[in-house]
Amino acid sequence: MANNILTQNDIRHVDYKDIDLLKQFVNPHGRIMSRSKSNLTAKQQREVERAIKRARFMGLLPYIQK
Amino acid sequence: MTAEEANAPAAAESAETDDVVRVYEIGYHIIPTVKDEDIENIVGGVRAVIEKHGGNFIAEGAPALTRLAYPMQVLTDGKKEEHDRGYFGWIKFEAKVSAAEALEDTLRGDANFLRFIVFRTAREDTRSKMRPPTLREVKRTDTIKSSPRRAEESSAPVSEEDLEKALQDLTAE
Repeated sequence: MANNILTQNDIRHVDYKDIDLLKQFVNPHGRIMSRSKSNLTAKQQREVERAIKRARFMGLLPYIQK
Repeated sequence: MTAEEANAPAAAESAETDDVVRVYEIGYHIIPTVKDEDIENIVGGVRAVIEKHGGNFIAEGAPALTRLAYPMQVLTDGKKEEHDRGYFGWIKFEAKVSAAEALEDTLRGDANFLRFIVFRTAREDTRSKMRPPTLREVKRTDTIKSSPRRAEESSAPVSEEDLEKALQDLTAE
């Protein structure tokens, strides 16, 4: 089992409203971390990606950060 | 094959999916210029649309004024208005596919909504209970630093004799 934030905290669903959780998967510029950095499984990475994109659309996370 | 025949399977498929009950979530931003009293009515309108189509509510987050990560523009009376905050709320509900589509259609024409999103989700609570520990640690180090200083100040009830002795020692040097 991959050793990452989601499995360590037993998180099965990633919610777009969990900004504090999602912020751990974006870099200081606001870009989504690659799987090699996030250490997530492919399924988890897809979930996180979907949640971040929803949060961006709803103005909870920035698209870019200067 | 005629056009009718080609469309037949698609029509049958949509009729099948129409009856399926699914769990959806709607997240919305109400424009910040709306009065506090009216917010409840606007949310009530959303709930009415869901109820009208036979939906059941699972969970709800009350709208709260939130700062947006970037300014959003809306067209009101042909003019572009920019907003940097909005009342963000959400509702998780169970309804047919047609109900979700109807909800999207009604919200699209509503000027009170800055932005909204409707998507399929899971029935259980998807928000994680995990909290990042960083903020708490900072507070703890602050209290540790401040407590010994106070202890030093309070533990200095020096008698006059001791003071004079110390002064004499200093002057002798």
